[in-house]
Amino acid sequence: MAEEHALAHPTPRQYVQIAVLLAILTAIEVALYYLEQSIDAFTTSIAAPLLILLAVMKFVIVVGWFMHLRYEKSLLSKFFTTGFVAAMVLYVAVLFALGAVVLL
Amino acid sequence: MATTATPGSRTIFRRPASHTGFWSWITTADHKKIGIMYGYTAFTFFILGGLEALLIRIQLAQPDSAFLSASEYNAMFTMHGTTMIFLFVMPVSAAFFNYLLPLMIGARDVAFPRMNAVSFWIFVFGGVFLYTSFLFGTTGPPAGGNLAEAASRLGSGPNGGWFGYAPNSGIRFSTGTVMDYWSIGLQILGLSSLISSINFIVTIFNMRAKGMKLLRMPVFVWMTTVVAFLLLFSLPIIAVALFMITFDRSFGTLFFDPSMGGDPILWQHFFWLFGHPEVYILILPAMGIVSEVLPTFSRKPLFGYPAVVFAGAAIGFMGFGVWAHHMFSSGVTPITQAAFGLSTMAIAIPTGIKIFNWIGTIWGGKVKLNTPMLFSLGFVGMFVIGGLSGVTHSIVPADWQQTDTYYIVAHFHYVLFGGAIFGLFSGLYYWFPKLTGRMYSEALGKVHFWVFFIGFNLTFGPMHWLGLNGMVRRTWVYAEETGLGPWNMAVTVGAFIIALGVLIFMINWSWSKRNGPIAPFDPWDARTLEWTMPSPTPEYNFAVNPVVTSLDDFWHKKYTEDSDGRPVRRPEAAALVAELEEVGLNPPAPIHLPNPSYYPFMVGLGMPMIGYGVIYRGAAWGIPLGIVGALIIIGSFIGWGVEPLEEPHEEHSDHADEPEPGDDHGEDA
Amino acid sequence: MADVAHTDGHHDVHESTGIDNRKLGMWVFLSSEFMFFGALISNYMLFKGRDYSAFVPAGQSVILPRELYDIPFTSVSSFVLLMSSLTMVLAHDALASGDQNRTRVWLAATGLLGSVFIGGQVFEFTEFVQQGMTLSTNPAASAFFVLTGFHGAHVFLGILMLLSLYGISKRQGGLTESQGLNVELVGLYWHFVDIIWIVIFTIVYLIP
Repeated sequence: MAEEHALAHPTPRQYVQIAVLLAILTAIEVALYYLEQSIDAFTTSIAAPLLILLAVMKFVIVVGWFMHLRYEKSLLSKFFTTGFVAAMVLYVAVLFALGAVVLL
Repeated sequence: MATTATPGSRTIFRRPASHTGFWSWITTADHKKIGIMYGYTAFTFFILGGLEALLIRIQLAQPDSAFLSASEYNAMFTMHGTTMIFLFVMPVSAAFFNYLLPLMIGARDVAFPRMNAVSFWIFVFGGVFLYTSFLFGTTGPPAGGNLAEAASRLGSGPNGGWFGYAPNSGIRFSTGTVMDYWSIGLQILGLSSLISSINFIVTIFNMRAKGMKLLRMPVFVWMTTVVAFLLLFSLPIIAVALFMITFDRSFGTLFFDPSMGGDPILWQHFFWLFGHPEVYILILPAMGIVSEVLPTFSRKPLFGYPAVVFAGAAIGFMGFGVWAHHMFSSGVTPITQAAFGLSTMAIAIPTGIKIFNWIGTIWGGKVKLNTPMLFSLGFVGMFVIGGLSGVTHSIVPADWQQTDTYYIVAHFHYVLFGGAIFGLFSGLYYWFPKLTGRMYSEALGKVHFWVFFIGFNLTFGPMHWLGLNGMVRRTWVYAEETGLGPWNMAVTVGAFIIALGVLIFMINWSWSKRNGPIAPFDPWDARTLEWTMPSPTPEYNFAVNPVVTSLDDFWHKKYTEDSDGRPVRRPEAAALVAELEEVGLNPPAPIHLPNPSYYPFMVGLGMPMIGYGVIYRGAAWGIPLGIVGALIIIGSFIGWGVEPLEEPHEEHSDHADEPEPGDDHGEDA
Repeated sequence: MADVAHTDGHHDVHESTGIDNRKLGMWVFLSSEFMFFGALISNYMLFKGRDYSAFVPAGQSVILPRELYDIPFTSVSSFVLLMSSLTMVLAHDALASGDQNRTRVWLAATGLLGSVFIGGQVFEFTEFVQQGMTLSTNPAASAFFVLTGFHGAHVFLGILMLLSLYGISKRQGGLTESQGLNVELVGLYWHFVDIIWIVIFTIVYLIP
């Protein structure tokens, strides 16, 4: 309910600005991909963490603003984070137990 | 839907209206009716699973028996396990959740009543689909093999064991259709449980009565919460694993085929990542029931309520961290073995806390040995034995000796039969008066317990030493020279004693339901909210929405403590109960309830049609059947979307100007 | 208001957490979807790095998904899906300000962008099959198709829900927040499918 929100939802104009930001992040991702393909081993080794960082940023922006999670009661964030963290921990453990290289 | 002047015309079919008779059951959205249907359906599957167990035991009663063929034996042990886990213990727990959860938290219904009906009908059709393997399934020869043994119908059930290990369950070694029935059938059943887990979580978080804080909820509700979260996070894993095996079998993917670079160990990880939380999904509801029964019949509050609640949550949490102890003999790395051995030992701690608190509850209480209490005490004792034999598996070298022997069979029957099923029967007797409005026969109930207790220990006790003496699991014959014959005969006799116990229960239930003495509101002088309402529960549940002021609110309204801490009945308790009876049967204001709907049934009906479509995609009718099934499901959801949850009621004409008459319960789409 | 939990005056049901039942249910469901896609993604991670040269006939080379990726093409379709999240949130916003027509337009745009994404995926799959990579080529290929296929199936379901909303908006009374399926719920689902694609795009496509 409106009165329970400390923060007002973004306006349509702000939504468009957020989308532009997301588009820019995506463009950086694609550019990084080509850098990673073309230059030396050092670039490759930093490209992957950077790509993950960019994906996390996009993820947080969509969840926080488009899904309004930052405007909601914390219970929803708790559920959502639990699912995400549980999936990360369990599947990394499975991949580890199977001897697969994790992420890189 | 701003104007709902002629609601009937807004739906595709006329809405069902009857509240009694056959159609009222098919179309109901009432959590109590759904709970009762869950119970009866699950019990039917219990009988089937029990008959399968008896056939197994007849086969094993003597060495070198030829009562069953090898393929028949495979189908029997697979379907016994699959039935008891997915078609009996889980749905009968769902029956308790459905019936009791809203009553215990003081709600009129679950959060999504029609979704609840969808869960039930998907479960029914999924179970029936699984069993039609016996009618239509084929086992087929192994690829390149010449063992073209034409399996009998009895041998045409799924035959890969309840955990369906790949690659044995893959298309290369199981060329017929029976494992398709298994993988798709479990997929359908999983969907049912996933939907109900979401429903229960929302119900518990959102539908509690005023004052019913989380730490005032009965332990049974807490255990339901834990189970719902376990289901929520473990079912998607098995769903993916089952999709993968279905795709391997039907569409040519190579996930579990080692001859093409696939990895069967991945199946084991995914399966047990689900399978171990599943074990707690089976046992926690029974622990919840026992935590209600023991205090009631000990005339004391539960000892250490917060400890029991947190131990339950800890079991649920740690239950996700022990899965690889099922795989110690599968060639997992030493680090994995050490880590999972340790976590397996650690999970005994919260379980031990619970046992300690249960004993603390009985300690010094005025114990009344009614049938529910006997079953709960049986639960505590048998579960301790099963839990201890379980901890022995955490010692990896010992586990290597025990794997795939009858020692394992003994262990998990002590926890799942001595544990879960004793607990569930305890609950069936305990809530029988609330369910039916009559009392069961105490004498028959006690006979049932003792027959069960003796039969159970005779059946599963000797399996410990049979296993340690080398009797292997899932093998249809053993040689006479092994010397295992006499104990196997004893086990078989025990199994038939258990069957006798079930028969006594059925006689007691069906006779008492009609002829038992009329039950009062609160026959056990109990603690939780469901005992504040008439027996059987009226359709509207609470005539007046309850307000809760403490844990065990009803108990504290009836009892106070003397200077020694002993409970003393308040003088005003009798008047309170009389008032509850007066109000409970005569609600002061009209109460409206979710209207029935055809669509949940239709959604369930569409599921097996898709399943048959996948299995028989080669036949001319296969794919069309699957498409029709999918269209029925989609169409039902669309019809559902435009169907208001409640028709406008005459008595609410004062609200006719309100925009939205339906959807009072926040019904989901 | 978009976020007003429906509170019928005539009913005594209250929501203990103050969150609408359906919304709470949707978030709970989405948290379990992490486990679903997590399994599919880790499945791909396991198989993508393995050596399949022992499993192909002598003289043939192993075809792996990453050798066939068309990154410019996938970048465009990822962009399309990302922008569909914008149109979805604009639809929700339009409904909050009571503009049924604008809501309908944005819903239609979202569905259209989603369809473009699905079309791109169909094109990509067809292309891969023509280049010799099918479900049965090797487990890495199987895992790629099953992961992206299940994501596509989620997008398809989302399109069906958008169509239903569009249909409801044409009915008398139009869209309200109180019917069973509402714009906010579909929006949550749609954005979730989008964030899963953000993860897939990075882990499956961009990181070799």
